[in-house]
Amino acid sequence: MSKVQHDRTHHAKKATGIGDPQCFKGEAGPAKFKIGDRVRIKDLPDLFYTRCQVYTRGAVGVVAAVVYESPAAEDEAWDNTDKSEWFYSVKFRQHELWSDYPAVYANDTLETEFSERWLEKA
Amino acid sequence: MSDNHKPAPMVDEISDFEVLEIAVRELAIEKGLFSADDHRRWTEYVHSVGPLPAGRLVAKAWLDPEFKKLAVTDGVKASLEVGVDWINSPPTKFGTPSDYCNLRVLEDTPRLKHVVVCTLCSCYPRPILGQSPEWYRTPNYRRRLVRWPRQVLSEFGLQLPEDMEIRVADSNQKTRYIVLPVRPAGTEGWSEDQLAEIVTRDCLIGVAVPKPGRKADDKRHVHPAVHPVHHDH
Repeated sequence: MSKVQHDRTHHAKKATGIGDPQCFKGEAGPAKFKIGDRVRIKDLPDLFYTRCQVYTRGAVGVVAAVVYESPAAEDEAWDNTDKSEWFYSVKFRQHELWSDYPAVYANDTLETEFSERWLEKA
Repeated sequence: MSDNHKPAPMVDEISDFEVLEIAVRELAIEKGLFSADDHRRWTEYVHSVGPLPAGRLVAKAWLDPEFKKLAVTDGVKASLEVGVDWINSPPTKFGTPSDYCNLRVLEDTPRLKHVVVCTLCSCYPRPILGQSPEWYRTPNYRRRLVRWPRQVLSEFGLQLPEDMEIRVADSNQKTRYIVLPVRPAGTEGWSEDQLAEIVTRDCLIGVAVPKPGRKADDKRHVHPAVHPVHHDH
């Protein structure tokens, strides 16, 4: 057999005993957004893999928490783990996501996470 | 009956994903990454994990405001106090039944009800809740809960007031969620053991709320047989 071209266990070695996403702590630099910021979800191309739901694209929400640092799923899917980003939990009003959401339930919300690349100031 | 009539299979044929799992598993065994017995032992362990520690976590949080503070700020650390180590799990000390180690405890209030889903796949806080129920993994639940949460909850028998905020948590990245429901009336003076018993799995996903007198291990009513069998011999 030829020599090992790529160490496929490097991620497991890095995370063992520390946890994932904890093992990426301190890698992303300063966070661009803070709690309370209004953000719009970008509609970026997602040719191969994404974990940014289509129903959130273009919607405006509020940063509810700055959660952890990690490579974005879109990179990590291809084992590109050298560039971490901040992740944010963003809260939306349901009628912002679904135009036909009943007005009587105007209080209803939805919360989900995004890596920094998906967010822009709104 | 014609000769070429074949009986229908008893179960559906194996899915593409099951074929893929078997292929990857057999290659890994062949390569010596783990043995078939390691794999069996791990599967057995994963299936032995259940929602009891999470029920205990909620009961502790109801009784101890300091612990509640810890639970909502650092779910992984709070889990240690109910015997769940997200980072170093037995039996391998390598990896856990979850791929990621970030637990967020979502605190309900009388005006706010959380409910958890994973629209993209079926992310679930397995180290503290065990394997997810079948319905949690279905496209039906996943696609409808985010868009019609009240209708779906009412199918689970949970009707909520119009002005109460329902907050759906869509678990799409590395955070896993459990719900910390409101402690129900009628549980005043209860012990931690008593409280933990009423916090069932569905209360922790958020599709139900705890009620005094309703426990996961309640005795089911047994209906008498309509035509009982009598043995004369």
